[in-house]
Amino acid sequence: MEATNAFEVLKFEAFGVNIEIIANDPNLINKIREVLPKVIPDNLFFRTNSIAEHFFKLHRIDQTDQISISRNDEETFIYRDETRLIEYLSSQIRITVAEFAKDRVFLHAGAVSWNGSGIIIPGKSFSGKTTLVSELIRKGAEYYSDEYAVLDKDGLLYPYPKMLSMRGIINDFDQLDTEPARFGATIGTEPIPVKLILLTSFEKNAVWQPEILKPGEAIMEILRDTIPIRYNPEFVLNVLKNIVKNAIITSSKRGEAVLVIPQIINFLESFREIK
Amino acid sequence: MPLARKNELVIQELQDEILVFDMKTNKAHCLNQTASTVWKHCDGKNTVSEINRLMEIHSGSKIPENLIWLAIDQLGERELLDNRIEEKFAGQNRREVLKKIGLATVVALPLVASITAPTAALAVACSGLVTSCVGCNPGVSCDENGGGGPIGMCSGGNCVGD
Repeated sequence: MEATNAFEVLKFEAFGVNIEIIANDPNLINKIREVLPKVIPDNLFFRTNSIAEHFFKLHRIDQTDQISISRNDEETFIYRDETRLIEYLSSQIRITVAEFAKDRVFLHAGAVSWNGSGIIIPGKSFSGKTTLVSELIRKGAEYYSDEYAVLDKDGLLYPYPKMLSMRGIINDFDQLDTEPARFGATIGTEPIPVKLILLTSFEKNAVWQPEILKPGEAIMEILRDTIPIRYNPEFVLNVLKNIVKNAIITSSKRGEAVLVIPQIINFLESFREIK
Repeated sequence: MPLARKNELVIQELQDEILVFDMKTNKAHCLNQTASTVWKHCDGKNTVSEINRLMEIHSGSKIPENLIWLAIDQLGERELLDNRIEEKFAGQNRREVLKKIGLATVVALPLVASITAPTAALAVACSGLVTSCVGCNPGVSCDENGGGGPIGMCSGGNCVGD
């Protein structure tokens, strides 16, 4: 809780994105350094001599318990709780990396591997991605991510194995980070082809009746959850085109995860048999 | 004579559709096969009648010219033409338009579907199940949204001001 006149600097690179955080409190910098491997579970490198493109400035205000945070010298917020501040900073770092990552496209999506076939579940927060991912893991899927599907130029899916952000443990809104192992998960290590993209949202008592989308229609739906679309549209459209060439994209409402997951697995298996 | 716009567009051809991302407006458009074919013929030299004739040759059947106009209207409305072509069906509802085109055509009706591409922050925002997930709920003091801040009033999911 010590504010000093000097600013401490933390520099790191993730997926080719260079970020610098400065703070007038060395303890704050140490705490951020500790949480970063959980925030960015892969491709994180601490650097001392890199040239940053994105900056966060944290300023502990003298004689108060308040900390201001600004990004690239814009939009300053003031927090009075250090934990909340670090949560906010973590989310901003994740989004920054996801938007500006080099040679990768980040979809806001859950992702697993079923016998080497990638399943992606795009969706906004609170759309039930983590619930479906954890249920797939219980049935034997390998865990890739519950937040971002990370794709390369050929459309291969890479692991981004952050802890599962479970709601409904503390309350309906706050997330509790939970080790995937708690669900018996093994974590994927290899890039895999995407075979199924599930566009789905929960509706009580809904029956999952998948409609298979045409490639263009499918890409338009996936774009809603594609983070770098404005920053790098050409690369994004190429990657998505490569994915829809080989994957089935389905759209349907769904009921409870525990009921729908066996149907989804059967659906994928029958498709694999046809192929 | 309609001329397809090329500047500030990212164009991705799929099997029988075209995806277009407009970097000026941050909108993505999906042109179905009929709209794609019409757009490809918009070279600034072909009249609508000539485009119609080319489409008839391509499909091997008679196509009502109003169908080409419907495509041109949609392409113009989405700023996918470089020149301004007066809309033929402006202000008319779908039923009236379909009546004029007639349903006895072998080619599908032209369709241009569009979305505004999300910003990075919006792409990770909440589903409609809750009003906010950024840490505050609109219209409520941020202190009431879980103690500890950020300080200020919540607007659109973000805490603004003090």
